[in-house]
Amino acid sequence: MNASTPALEVRGLVKHYPGVKALDGVDLIVRQNEVLGLAGENGAGKSTLLKALVGLVTPDAGEIYVRGEQVKLRSVVDAADHGIGMVFQEQSLVPNLTAAENIVLGSEGAAVRRGVYRWDTMRRLAQEQLDKIGSDIDPLARTDTLTFADRQMVEIAKVLRIEERSQHPPVIILDEPTSVLESKEIETLFAQIRRLREFASVIFVSHRLDEVLDVCDRVTVLRGGQSAGEVATAGAEPGELHRMMIGSTGSDDHYHENAAAPVTAAEPRLSVRGMSGKTFHGIDLDVAAGEIVAIVGVHGSGREDVCRALFGAEPTTAGEIRMDGKKIDLPGTRAACAAGIGYVPAERKIEGMVGPMSVAENMTLTKQRARCTGPFVAPRKQAGLVDRWIERLSIRTPGRDTAIGRLSGGNQQKVVLARWLVAGDIRLLLLDHPTRGLDIGARSEVYRLMRELAASGVATVLLADSLEEAIGMADRILVMNDGRVAAEIACPSGGKPSPLDLVKEMV
Amino acid sequence: MRFTARPAAAIMSLSLAAAVLAGCSEQAAGGNDAAAEGACQPSDVRLVGQVRNESNPYEASWLAGGDAYAKSVGLTQERLTYDGDSTKQQEQISQLLAGDTKCLVMNVLPNGDSDTAPIVKGADQAGAYLVTQWNKPADLDPADHRTWVSHITYNGVESGQQIGDALATAIGGNGGIIALQGILDTAAAKDRFAGLEASLKKNTGVKLLDQQAANFSRAEALTVTKTLLTKHGEHVKGIWAANDDMALGALEALQQQGLAGKVAVVGIDAVPDAVKAVQGGTMTATVSSDGAWQGGIGLAIGYCVATGKLAVKDIAAANRAFFAEQFLITKDNAADFVSPKTNPADFECANVFNRVAGPLT
Amino acid sequence: MTVTAGVTAAPRRRTRRGAAFRDAGPPVALVVIFGIFAALSPQFRSVDNVQNIVDAAAVLAVVTCGITFVLMMGSIDLSAAGVMGAAALTVSLLVANNRNDNDFGLLGILVAVLLGCAFGCLSGLALVLLKVPSFMATLGVSAVGLGVATLLFAGVQPNISDTMLKGWAIERFLGFSYLTWIAAACVLVGWLVQRYTRLGRYAFAIGGAEEVLTLSGVRVKPYKIAVFALAGAFYGLGGVMVTSQLGAGLVQAGDGYDFSAITAAVVGGTLLTGGRGGVLHSAVGVLLVMVLTNGLVQVGVSPYWQGGVEGLIVVAAVAAAVIPQRRRNQVVK
Repeated sequence: MNASTPALEVRGLVKHYPGVKALDGVDLIVRQNEVLGLAGENGAGKSTLLKALVGLVTPDAGEIYVRGEQVKLRSVVDAADHGIGMVFQEQSLVPNLTAAENIVLGSEGAAVRRGVYRWDTMRRLAQEQLDKIGSDIDPLARTDTLTFADRQMVEIAKVLRIEERSQHPPVIILDEPTSVLESKEIETLFAQIRRLREFASVIFVSHRLDEVLDVCDRVTVLRGGQSAGEVATAGAEPGELHRMMIGSTGSDDHYHENAAAPVTAAEPRLSVRGMSGKTFHGIDLDVAAGEIVAIVGVHGSGREDVCRALFGAEPTTAGEIRMDGKKIDLPGTRAACAAGIGYVPAERKIEGMVGPMSVAENMTLTKQRARCTGPFVAPRKQAGLVDRWIERLSIRTPGRDTAIGRLSGGNQQKVVLARWLVAGDIRLLLLDHPTRGLDIGARSEVYRLMRELAASGVATVLLADSLEEAIGMADRILVMNDGRVAAEIACPSGGKPSPLDLVKEMV
Repeated sequence: MRFTARPAAAIMSLSLAAAVLAGCSEQAAGGNDAAAEGACQPSDVRLVGQVRNESNPYEASWLAGGDAYAKSVGLTQERLTYDGDSTKQQEQISQLLAGDTKCLVMNVLPNGDSDTAPIVKGADQAGAYLVTQWNKPADLDPADHRTWVSHITYNGVESGQQIGDALATAIGGNGGIIALQGILDTAAAKDRFAGLEASLKKNTGVKLLDQQAANFSRAEALTVTKTLLTKHGEHVKGIWAANDDMALGALEALQQQGLAGKVAVVGIDAVPDAVKAVQGGTMTATVSSDGAWQGGIGLAIGYCVATGKLAVKDIAAANRAFFAEQFLITKDNAADFVSPKTNPADFECANVFNRVAGPLT
Repeated sequence: MTVTAGVTAAPRRRTRRGAAFRDAGPPVALVVIFGIFAALSPQFRSVDNVQNIVDAAAVLAVVTCGITFVLMMGSIDLSAAGVMGAAALTVSLLVANNRNDNDFGLLGILVAVLLGCAFGCLSGLALVLLKVPSFMATLGVSAVGLGVATLLFAGVQPNISDTMLKGWAIERFLGFSYLTWIAAACVLVGWLVQRYTRLGRYAFAIGGAEEVLTLSGVRVKPYKIAVFALAGAFYGLGGVMVTSQLGAGLVQAGDGYDFSAITAAVVGGTLLTGGRGGVLHSAVGVLLVMVLTNGLVQVGVSPYWQGGVEGLIVVAAVAAAVIPQRRRNQVVK
């Protein structure tokens, strides 16, 4: 093998699932000491390809070459033996074990002799891994006491353990590593990725095209289970990638700014004065009917808690909240629901939906009255209502009785949103990272939905996934810093501030 | 008596019809039909004994007594156990009653008072002969039923009092005792403790220091006794236990505290280990509720009625629901009770009610 | 399990001091409850009574030790009653007794423990191979155990005359019965297994995030079976210890121990959802439960009230133990 042999090469990989061609002859080349970006909409075949590379999926046809040699990968262990390791999208650490244990998990080597732990050896092995990436995490700290950024470091340290198994530079796959990180943490991660490039090859997957362009040397775009082409990142534009992903000229205006309705109401729909809680102090906030107000801030600024407090899910110690001038107490979420406040939580899978229950049931969780006659569920009444909303929001589901867990992320989010729309008398919508983990197409639809709701007079508080999103969607932006409102920036269509203006106030 | 096949069938259907009529006409007290009773060949009788489980000495001896009796009349006893599960007991009974019930004799230990009524109702409708023991609600009386021949139980108040008195005598009429109660909401536990209270009224020198529930369990009695011994120390002269299992647990506790032989212990039920302990002197007294006899007598009464040697209408009302005779076992007479034996003479149809100690109160 | 995984993944920082505080609930509750009883009753705080409490805790401690590993894994084990019954009958028929001429001594005890281990294995296999939920699998194994015990019982209670086994309950060393020392040894062994062996750590990890282990190339199934087998061995020993205490092999030797052990473990801070707690937590839980039952008697609470009072205090103790870890909208099932 010489320097020009690709670290990893995939030729004509095919994988069928019942009814779906997930991979339809994908080709991919990862060069040595390169950071390769992998882009594609949801359903383009990214995750199937990645799974095939770490032995979790056995392809129906096609070949995989590692440093020029054809290999068959049957399990994660197989892949690790060939020097391929992956940091999974859903954080894949055991939360109640120490960082050290997570790092050596599955390949304890000298740290475990005849089933007995050698804690000293384990600590040393883990420290070696952490040293490689220059992290100063305590190896014996319990993983669930670490920040997300630190956990990400532990994952990378863990995946680098495969170096011990194969004698060659490893191929590290990072699947959506930034989705749970704040911008500062993302910077640290990118610095790590650039370090990794010194001795490894990296495949980087993200929905945020700006990130992909920022950190990668080259980007391969997947579309419909095939390789749609590749782009060298130097000088490339997100729009170019975007076009390749969706196969046609993408709408640059996916924030639907021109649909923004002018805000006229004299009295604010929501008025908050001096609200304080554990992590926020003296919050003043007004949102008019039809207005979208974004709250931005770094991790720990308290914006999530403010959002939850408005819904009554986080205790407050002072302040008052008025809806349309009427003071409301928020002892709990029921009162918030009664006041016409809807909340779309960030942790969709945990707080937003009941995975095994059907689309219809999830949609009508809040508004039981709509489908009930007395305590009994009236299936027909429910069916009509649900079908109407499935159609209006163009939710792609085999049927209203499909378990929501089986839908794609974007469609799940639409169902969660629909829950508040079904309720009918919604007046204020709190959106906590509504587009987290969604691809561009799905995001665009969520944005359109937000615009429609705003146009119909719903007031919206948005915790955006990125500054661009906040700027694109909001009529006004509150910047939070250390639990207080640091600045309020008008953000009208046609007069948008730049991200830099916001960042100045955030730190 | 000998019938050819056809008349037998005719009589059978007639008697069935009569039974139905009798049932419908709601004739009270002993409203029975001579043609229906006593129509069974001895070899046609089916004997069933049902208890909670076979995993304790008392119920094991019950079933053994039933086997011995069945053998003496040339039959075998079907043994049923329901693990103390009321639902399971009812299922077993309905399965039995769904089969041929003409000559069915059941000797049943109902799981609790409330389980008796459905069993009685089912047996009555199916015409199966039924003897129940221990548990029945006070307002349910065999005399109001046709095939529920008898209900047998022991006078718990009397047992509690007998061993209470024996305990008082053993400690010389003076000193403190502790009491181990059974499962508090059972009739047996309540009655037996009432007996102790009656005994205490009589023996004024005896003081009840403490009473705790050990739920008829040997292991719980061990722990509770140890706790009470540390609480009351040397003041404890005697231990009154509502059954022998708890008494045996208390004996272990005494042994572990080095007090074996220094504290008198009494129990109820006369399980083999307790009788041996009484014989050996480590335990003061127990009361016999003769499991082997109970297992045999229920079948015997039913068998006598089924084969016509005894007619329900001839059974005195006092014998339809009665307390059976019980014996206080002390060191003097323990040898007679060491291995539970049954006396075949007790089960002869003329003698089945010999152990009646009095009507149910 | 997804629920716990998800909740711990919520974006909150937690310091290591927080973790220590979280574990402090049950020991504090133990000290408080002990203090209250000690203040109310001079007999309660006597040395004799403290010995008595610890001695009485011995069997429950051993059983809880076993069940803790299963609970840590996020499974549940209801087989203790049956396994203990079978082990009790087995050991009482193998050591010197009044039913037969066997006198295998220590070997008999070993066989009983191994029998428990085999029953545990059976639960594990049913769970892993037949995919029967642990709740049902262990309930079935318990019934099998009771069946075996009833067969061995055969109508006559075996009383043991083996002096060594009887001596365990009677002989004392430094004021505590041998059984207590055995229990202490079990807790120590349990703690070592939990802290220093792959089996223990993986049991913990399975309760935390089973899929992650699989993704890391760990074969989880053998560990699950091994955990149930380990638990079964503890139950077997528990059955032997009950036999030593009662001087006889009872089918009912394990009656109630399944739920008492789960209660003790939960009171001690081991979560039923798995992934948290451990042997030492459970040992504290056992002492808490024992102090409670003993204290209520010593203080003189009427037996008619005890059940209710005990239940209330247990719920209060568990609530106090979890308050430090209560989080926003935490789902409890």
